[in-house]
Parts: sequence; C-alpha cells; structure tokens
Amino acid sequence: MSLLEVNDLKIKYRTSEEDVHAVNDVSFSIGEQDNYGLVGESGCGKSTIAKTILGMLDDNGEIAAGSVKFKHRELADLSESEWQDIRWEEISYIPQSAMDSLDPVMTVGAQIRQAIHKHRDTTKAEADERVAEVFEIVGLDPARTSDYPHEFSGGMRQRVTIAMALVLDPDLIIADEPTTGLDVIVQDKIIDKLLEIQDEVDSSMLLITHDVGVVAETCDEVSVLYGGKVMEQGATYDVFMHPTNPYTMGLQNAFPVVDEFDEQAISIPGSLPELTEEPTGCVFRNRCPFATEECEDGHPPLTANGGQLSACYHTDKADEMREAAAEPETWGLEGGDDRETSHEPGDVILETDGLEKWFKQTQSFIDDMRGAEPDYVKAVNGVDLTVRQGEILGVAGESGCGKSTLGEVIAALQPRTGGDIYIDGTSVDDLLAESTKKFRSQVQFIFQDPFDSLNPRQRVKAAVAEPLKIQGYDQETINRRVRETVSDVGLNPPEKYLDQLPAQLSGGERQRVAIAQALVLQPKLLICDEPASMLDVSLKANILNILREMADKRDIGIVYISHDLASLTQIANRLAVMYLGRVVEIGDTRDVVQNPRHPYAASLLAASPQTDPSVNRQRVLLPGEPPNPVNLPGGCNFAPRCPKASEECRQAEPKRSAFEDGGHEAACYFPVEDVETELLAQYARNRGQAKVQSAKEESIEESVEGE
Amino acid sequence: MTFRRFLIKRTAIAAILTLVAVSVIFATLRMLPSDPFSGLVASGALTPSQVEELRALYGLDEPIWVQYLKYIQNLFTFQFGLSLTQQRPVSEIIGPALLNTMVLLLPALITTAIVSSLAGMYAGWNRGSWFEQFSIITTTFFRATPIFVTGIFLLIIFSYGLGWFPAFGMRSSMANPEGLAATYLSVDFLKHYILPFTATVLFYSGDFLMLARNSVVERKGSEFLKLHRAKGLSEMEQLGRAGRNSLLPLVTYFALRTGMLFQGVITLEVVFAWPGIGRALVQAILNQDYPTVQAAVFIMALAVIVMNLTADIAYARLDPTVEAGDV
Repeated sequence: MSLLEVNDLKIKYRTSEEDVHAVNDVSFSIGEQDNYGLVGESGCGKSTIAKTILGMLDDNGEIAAGSVKFKHRELADLSESEWQDIRWEEISYIPQSAMDSLDPVMTVGAQIRQAIHKHRDTTKAEADERVAEVFEIVGLDPARTSDYPHEFSGGMRQRVTIAMALVLDPDLIIADEPTTGLDVIVQDKIIDKLLEIQDEVDSSMLLITHDVGVVAETCDEVSVLYGGKVMEQGATYDVFMHPTNPYTMGLQNAFPVVDEFDEQAISIPGSLPELTEEPTGCVFRNRCPFATEECEDGHPPLTANGGQLSACYHTDKADEMREAAAEPETWGLEGGDDRETSHEPGDVILETDGLEKWFKQTQSFIDDMRGAEPDYVKAVNGVDLTVRQGEILGVAGESGCGKSTLGEVIAALQPRTGGDIYIDGTSVDDLLAESTKKFRSQVQFIFQDPFDSLNPRQRVKAAVAEPLKIQGYDQETINRRVRETVSDVGLNPPEKYLDQLPAQLSGGERQRVAIAQALVLQPKLLICDEPASMLDVSLKANILNILREMADKRDIGIVYISHDLASLTQIANRLAVMYLGRVVEIGDTRDVVQNPRHPYAASLLAASPQTDPSVNRQRVLLPGEPPNPVNLPGGCNFAPRCPKASEECRQAEPKRSAFEDGGHEAACYFPVEDVETELLAQYARNRGQAKVQSAKEESIEESVEGE
Repeated sequence: MTFRRFLIKRTAIAAILTLVAVSVIFATLRMLPSDPFSGLVASGALTPSQVEELRALYGLDEPIWVQYLKYIQNLFTFQFGLSLTQQRPVSEIIGPALLNTMVLLLPALITTAIVSSLAGMYAGWNRGSWFEQFSIITTTFFRATPIFVTGIFLLIIFSYGLGWFPAFGMRSSMANPEGLAATYLSVDFLKHYILPFTATVLFYSGDFLMLARNSVVERKGSEFLKLHRAKGLSEMEQLGRAGRNSLLPLVTYFALRTGMLFQGVITLEVVFAWPGIGRALVQAILNQDYPTVQAAVFIMALAVIVMNLTADIAYARLDPTVEAGDV
C-alpha cells in the first residue's frame, strides 16, 4: 500500500507579471518504510513539492490541478487547523539549514517538547523522557537537552532537527537537503545516522537533494526532476546505472566524482527554461544534444523502459545516447583530449615559507596588565607551498581549517603574522612597497559568491574594464582586452553580454564575469575561493573547465580552495589537504587521492559520496569534531581523533616530510597503507564498542533500579 | 565569562560613568561666568562683605578640590543641600516634583510599551492588512505631532468642549489632600490624570509599534518559524515565538526611555500645568538656583546610567546567544 500518492500535481506561483508554472504533472508514490528521492537542480520544483506535502506553500503559490493523497486522504483541501493536526504527528520535516532552523532563544529540549505537547497529552516528565530517547537515537548526549542551539556545532544541530523529526514516530519524514552545507565527513555521519534510523523506526522518508551521490547511496527509488517535470523515475539502481533520459545522463556526468582524474567535467550548456507558460515541448529540448523535431510536440509522457520510467521520445536509443553522452563533444564542448599531453608546469610563481596567520584572542584587561601571553587561533600555521606556472594547486579541508584565510593572506587581503610569501621570486613586502597597483595586477582573487561580488549597478563591460582603468590603460586597449576576456570565459558572443547588468545574468554567467574581471589583467597568480560552490552541478563543471583552460593557455598559476574534493581532483595538478591551519598532506592529485597517507586526508577522501549505486562504500565514522582551535593539544593535531595515534604522536608534532615519496608528503609518523582496514573498520569498531559500552551501562543501571 | 563576572564588570563601569557625569556637572556649573550673589551686589541689595559672608556660609571660599570632594560626598549620601532661592532643602523641592512626574509618565510608558508592542507584533505578522496600515498611520501621526499640540487638542475637545475633564493641574483647587494615598488615589486625581496620560500614551505608541512590527517582519521568513509551523503550531503560537525573538530591541528601547523619563516632559507639564520635574528644573535654571539644578541633573544622569545597565543585563538574560563578554 502506498503511503503518499502524488498524482498529476501542478503548482503555480502568481507573480506580479506572470504566473510561474513551478511543477507540472508530477506523479509519484511512496510506499511504507520506503526511502524516496527527489533529485534535481535548483528551480526544478523539488522544494515546492515538499512544501505542498506539508501544506506550507508560499502565499502566492497554489495547487492548480492534481492531488496529493496521504493514507488515502486528500491533502489539497485541508483547512489550516486540519493541517496543524497532521503536521509532525504524521508528516515531519528535516529542514535544509540546520544553522538557522532552531529557535535561538529556546533550549533544544524545549523545542522538541513543544512538538510533543502540541500533539500529545503528556506530562513534562514523560516528554523529557522521550526527548532523551530521541537524543540517544541520533547520537547526542541526552544531558545536553537544556542547551541552546548556538552551543551546538552545525552537524550536531542537524542531529537535533533529526531527533525532533523522529520524536512522534511520524509515518513520513521529509528531508529537504539535510546534508547540504555540512562538511563531507559530517555529512557522511548524518547519512549513516539517517539510514540506521530507517532500519530502527518504520517511517518512510522523502529525501530532496541536488546531490546525486547522496541519493544514490540512500534511496530505494528516485524521481529525477527538471523544469517542474519528472524526467526519469524508478529504482535508484536502475536510474543511475542505466539512465535512459538525456538529462539524467547529463546530470550524472556533470556530477564530479573523487577518483576520476583529468576527465574533463561535462557540463550541460544553456540554462533552465522559463516556466512562465506550461511546457509545449520537452522541457529539456533546448539543452539536449539528442533533441529532434519530435521533441517540440509536447513534453514526452513517462514511458516504461527497462526497470524505470523515462520522459523521452528516444528511449529506444538509450544505449547509444548513454555512450554519446559520455563524450564532451556531444554537449557541444571542445574535446579534452589534449589535457594529458598538456605541457609541464613552468617556473615557480608562488612560494610560501612557513606562512602564519594567528588571530589574537581578546583577554581580560587584568591579564593584559599582567603581561600574560594571549591565546591565539592559529588559522594558518607554518604553511609551505609552491605553485608553478600553468599549475593548479588544490587546497582542500573542512570549514574552519584555515583554507580561506590562507588564500586571503597570500593575496595580501589580510596581513600575515609570520613567514614569507614570494611571487615570482620577489617577496610580497617588496612588491607592495614598490607598488600596490602592480602587485594587484599580478595576483587576483575570485570570490565564492557571484551574487554579492559583482556591483549590481555596473554593466558587464564596466565591471570587467574597471581593473584595467585602475591600472591606467588607454581606452582602445581596454575595449580590446575586455572583449577578448569576456569571450575567453565562454560568454559568446561578447556583444550579447557586454551591456547587461548582473541581475540579467544567471549564476553561472555571473561567476564567469567575475573570472573575466580577474583575468583581464593577465595575472600571474589567481586565487579562487570556492568559485563553484554556489552553482548547480551542470554549471559547476563549466567553471572548472574554464579555469583549467586558462591555466593551460595562459600559464597562470592557480590556487583553488574548496571543500569539494570531487571538483578538486578534476581540476588540480597537485592537492594539499589542510587540518587546523596545517597542510597535513600534499602531492600530485593522483598520488594523494589514490594513496592518501595521512589518516585525516584518507578519511576525508573516503567520505565523498559515490554516484555509482553499485559501489558499496564503507562510511567514514570519524569520531568527534575538530578541536577548539584556541587550545590545541600538543603533538599532532589529529592525534585525539586518530585510531593509529601512539604516544609519539602526542609528544611531538610530525613534520610534513615525515612521510616522503617523490613530491608526495604527509605529516604522519605512521602513514596509512590500507584505508579500509586501518581507519574505516577501526572507526566502525570504536563506535560499536562505545555503543556496547553504553548499552552495558544502561543494563547495569536498570538492574540497579530493579533491585 | 560567567554571568556574575559580567554583572560585576557592568556595575563597575556604570559606577565610573556616574562619577564622570557628576564631575562634568560640577565643572560646568563652576565655569559659568556669574553666580547668584554677584547679581545681588550689582542691584545694591548686598555689600561685598556680606557677599563674602554668604560665600563662606555656602563653602564657596574653600579651595576647589575641597569643594569637589564635599560635593561628591554629599551627592552619594543624597544630601543635595539648600536651595539658594527658596531657602529649603533641595530634596524637598525635587522629591515631590519627581514623584508627580513618575506617577504620570511611568504608567503611561508601561501601558504603551505593552499595548503598542503587541499591536505592532500583530501588525507585522499580518503584513499588508488594513490593521497594519491603519495602526502605522495613526501612531506615526501622533508621534510626529508635538506632544503639547496633542495635549492642547485633547484639552479643547474633552475639557473645554465636552467638559468631561478638568483642564488644569493635578487636583482641583478646593482639594487639599494629606498623605500619598489621599493625593494619588482619589477620583479627583483620576479626572486630572486621564488627559495627560492619554497624550503620553499616544505620543510614545509609534516607537514601540514600529519597532515591534519591524522585528516581527524580519523574523517572519526565518527558517526556525518555518520549522515551528511544520511542527503544527497554530498561527498565534507561531506569532508568540516570533514575538519572543523580537523582544531585544523592545526591551532595550523601553529601558532607555524609562531612563529619560526622569527629565520629565516639560511641554506636557506646562500644557496641563502638571507640577513635575521638568518645570521644577526650568524654574531652577532661570533662578540660577545651582544646588537644585545640580541635584536634578545628577538624578537624570543616574537614571539613564542605571536603566542602561538594566538594559544590558536584560539583553544577556533574554538572548542566550549574546555571550556575556560581548555586551
């Protein structure tokens, strides 16, 4: 019996100008105790569907047609007070941004209790007991129920919201991007928890995400959405092993995977269709390389093909399409064949020597007077790096590891507190003393957020020309260089874009303008801080390709900072992994990814989800969280969480050259040989022990109480 | 930092501020070019030797630092000395006037803080409703109109026009009550009280309404309210949470306003002939009655500092995310 049935659902948003048809004829059903995935890029309608199932559609949204049946009851006609009874009691919700989803002025325990009291007639003691129970289930310390949300880290807050979703044993849990915004190791632990909970409780789950990897690893069935339409639907295994729809193929190809090196990421050219009218043809036809005239005749119906349903007129040629889709040329991209043969990196362009950035902690006035040594947060602590011409150095690490600070210090956007930086053999201090302008023309920075980093009132032409004007070029050179650069970053023809304002551009186009702005001065060194992390998968690949091409063609050295290992392995020649201000491992990307030696780097790499549903990956259950950067323990920073740590590790911090093999270095006394047995199995075992331990303690307590 | 350390630190800062404030008052008044006696000499009422005697009587012939120390010592024991013009202790002049002002303004402020804040929250929650627009226009109108204009209109309509309320003073000229209870708890007092009370409530309502409305509007789209809604909370319960999260600016503003009440509202007191601190202060300044001015200014400064301290403490208590050290 199916728990939730969505039939031919159409949802419209009314805006002041025209209606937006966000969801068109979507049908799917979720059985009991099922994990169902809705996957797609932003604007595909997945969140709108989730809101509809909770009855929380925005005020200007309405169900234009179709039905949503939950346990055979039509949800579309419910009144607000009927909704209030169903919410949480039967359908609960795990929100996307755990960081601001909890009421900041209410203890987490009280927030969960509130949900209980709202729906059940229980005493406070009973509610407290239940809160402690769910805390236990999600792996939080039940003693912390009276803490406020800000006292928890991001991953722990997400656990609180999961605990909250479980508290009434609902029949359906809707998880809206539950792991987006979390670091990859934390994400892995949360996914593991969700799956474990699925086994224990009998709720169904509707998982909404853009992350193909997360869906492939967690869901039994999946719908791939695009432009408010279901493109492909069926068992996750079938859909991602043998996709029959060109969009699924494109999405999967665009999604970077950690251990695919040097393969040019395949992006889907073009942008989302305007949804101001009901689709008259296939919604994907303007971006689809296999589109024919037939595709203009209305959106194709979902037809059975193999184990799954696919909305495409050409499903009979699915095998051929799959093969063709793996080739970048199919998508109108230039071939990436010359990549392997690309010339050797040239001279060293950037060198840092023991670079340090310590932030002083404020201390009390009295300690200041006594001359006490203040505490420091060592955001960047003794980092040695080199970048050569035409080389991309990837810097990876979790949030808070100091990678962004490193980028800003190298670009002299923040002063350093120790060590040296050399650009092309000259110290940064000398360069800055000579001329700040000249330094800025050599070192450029690309920021994360293309929506905030462009001036909204400046047209593309003016934005890209501005650096040249500051450097004092003549008008003719400026015009020529702007045109060239805009075209180089793939905004073709340039005339079409030069007079547009940022608001008229899509996110991917804006980021390309930002890149053009950085490249127009022909810098020697480019520092990119997460330039693709705000973009959808299909656009992300495009940005990566542009950067790679620029490094090759223009001999620029690039420092590419990201938490996303998969995009790093695709783009970087060499990879550095940071943990708490130190580079713990560095080497050729291939060496680092295939044979990581530092236990932290190895764990990080192993935690990336796989888009291939046939791979059975062992989860990384790395215990604890990075320690407080103010009072770090002596010895190796990672020792407290490392299963291999010995006395030696706690005594003295290993040098980065503790392990050395060619250019591959790792700061570890006991380099990892086999990730599975030495680390992952160990983590799992330790956790198992911890569980047995707590179970034992419980049984002892119970027997004591029994007496 | 623990809450206790925070409390000690803030209190110490408040004490230092108070000391600075009274020193400034002392220095300012001593720097004024004239004193009340020189005027008497000029008019021929006193001979210079008599002035010397008088100066010695008030301790004005002592070195400046001795005067300062005595001044500080007296202030902190709440001995404000004798009025120069009325020949009675300053506390007897200021005390009743201050009480009259507080009896009028404090209940008015509390009333408007509660009512207008709740109305503002409701308005913010129902954005675009007629209630929101109506309440904003009305309260902004009264906020923009000077309080004495509102007062005069109230008098014209309800006192001279309809004759419902007396127009003048705090009690009728026939009444001569003894003791606090008889003064402030009589029907006669209530009749005199209603109009100035109403004018004050109307005047302050706009601030609280807009503050409450804006912070609820800010909270309205927030993720945590979405989660509260998903939990099945009713509309009013959600508004309750939004309101709880909007309390900070309201409490801060309330505390600061309360501190400023101690100055009285001179225009209001004049229009309604209310014998409050504002009028007492202006009279004292006109008469160059320095001990009275000193004392009144000291009380105002102290009130503002104390209410600021209260606001800080309320902040740390209301918002757990405010690290006590940040404030």
